[in-house]
Amino acid sequence: MGAKRAVVRTNPLDRKDALLGVMLIAPTVLIFCAVIVYPLVSALYLSMFRIFTPTLQGSFVGLGNYAELAASQEFWRSLLNTAVWTVLTLTLQIVFGIAAALMLNQAMVMRSLARSLILFPYFVSTVVAVLVWRWLFNDLYGILNHLAMWAGLLSMPLDWLGSMPNAMVSIVLVGAWKYFPFVVIAILARLQTIPEPLYEAARIDGAGAWSRFTDVTLPQLKEVLMVVILLRAIWDFKEFDLIYLLTGGGPVIATQTLPLMVYKEAFGLNDMGRASAVAVAMMLVMLSFMLLYLRVSRDGERK
Amino acid sequence: MKRGIAGRIAFNLLAWAVVSITAFPLIWMVITSVKPQFELFRIPPTFWPESVTFEHYVRLLTETPFLLYMRNSLVLSTATTVLVVAVATLGAHSLVRFRYRGREALARLVLFTYLLPSVVLLLPLYLMMVWLGVANSLLSLVIAYTTFALPYALWLLRSFMQGIPDDLEAAALVDGASRMEAFFDVILPQALPGIISTSLFTFILSWNEYLYALVLVNTDSARPLTTGVMSMLISAFNIEWSLLMAASVMMSLPLIIIFAFLQSYLTRGFGAGGVKG
Repeated sequence: MGAKRAVVRTNPLDRKDALLGVMLIAPTVLIFCAVIVYPLVSALYLSMFRIFTPTLQGSFVGLGNYAELAASQEFWRSLLNTAVWTVLTLTLQIVFGIAAALMLNQAMVMRSLARSLILFPYFVSTVVAVLVWRWLFNDLYGILNHLAMWAGLLSMPLDWLGSMPNAMVSIVLVGAWKYFPFVVIAILARLQTIPEPLYEAARIDGAGAWSRFTDVTLPQLKEVLMVVILLRAIWDFKEFDLIYLLTGGGPVIATQTLPLMVYKEAFGLNDMGRASAVAVAMMLVMLSFMLLYLRVSRDGERK
Repeated sequence: MKRGIAGRIAFNLLAWAVVSITAFPLIWMVITSVKPQFELFRIPPTFWPESVTFEHYVRLLTETPFLLYMRNSLVLSTATTVLVVAVATLGAHSLVRFRYRGREALARLVLFTYLLPSVVLLLPLYLMMVWLGVANSLLSLVIAYTTFALPYALWLLRSFMQGIPDDLEAAALVDGASRMEAFFDVILPQALPGIISTSLFTFILSWNEYLYALVLVNTDSARPLTTGVMSMLISAFNIEWSLLMAASVMMSLPLIIIFAFLQSYLTRGFGAGGVKG
């Protein structure tokens, strides 16, 4: 902190142009207030009304919507689904992500092409990913059922998306496929900065490949892993597109997560107030992760 | 790392097997899009198409509203990117190079909004668009897209600009430049690679967005590719997978172009630590 202050004192950019600085940030602040802060406050306000979506007529119900949610099985089921989806798909993303990053960090033929191919699922639109996977999962002509039957894993075509627990397994797998490249890129960037002498020293001490990984690589990855896990947990928790387009929350509500419940309450059941209450409740659950991330990133910046 | 020739071959085979499995769904998408319709319904399916056809692409472009959706997506993503990157460049410069009360709090707020789920803002934004009378237009989507694109671009540009040494601007000021002259002559050229990769990421984010487009727009004239292509799936009496796969390939074209020619900018963006999912 002391060093930073000394820099400030000698810095010619110090305070005197504060007004210009405020003018440069003003458009950002205005837009933020209009499209983020106001809607955020408005969501809290809406959640205290009962609003019929087609007419947008509403009546004040106070915390009634929240009381209804607390007593509704569907809300708790959706929260549970969200937690199950997040934990499972996040675990797969991290495990595959680390493994693929270690692999791509080694010398291999046409490595940059391999890296591009691994990254592609992450950048492709969720709509494209879902269309492709629904075609792969297709019960009559899908290649997955044929391959599995050809390999003797299945005797009958499997209903990948329409029954439980298959539907949950399928969205978790597609989520892992779509988002593990994010982990790969973050880990790969960090791997490239681990000093080689650390590995040399471990090798001289007689460490095998596995203990080099656990004793040298993993401790070095700890910080970036923390950030990656928090970010992905937040993003997986609020995922809408992928689940909505693959299963629509079905069968019945077996894969309905909280974001899907918000959409259904607002535009399927036409109650915008209750939908807002679900959204706010969901944000409260996420808040702990978000605050933790803010803290971790601030610590990272201090260093 | 020392490894025998056999070990190296085995590792390469294994690694490429993993890469192929990961890329398989996308390869299958391309293969399906050039297969004649009747070949899709072979049991067991054929891997390589027996004959390659582009009839699905022709049908997609001539008999469906695909080109209209594509135009909408191009206008929408370009407008969002230009607006957001212009505002965010000024904002990030202010957050990095100026000192005023509330600056740190503002930076925290940006990071917080960057994590905010869209569904929370969705309903108030929907009501706002109805009140403003701009619902069902590309403008409503541009406004909605700034909610995630602006915090994102600001955060990314801020980390890029923190990497530009203070001395550069200080030297220009000593030479008698004003703050704004120094910004245009010194900071902007230095930040250009960062601005380019931020623009690419913002463009991809807008191009791929689905939820706001689903809720805010329900006419073909303003529908972007994401919801447009999905509506082709839902409205079809029997699903034409080869047509949908052709649409998926066409929809990924900007990405393929970026990957082929501008990949270094993507990696740079990841290096700056801001990537959104």
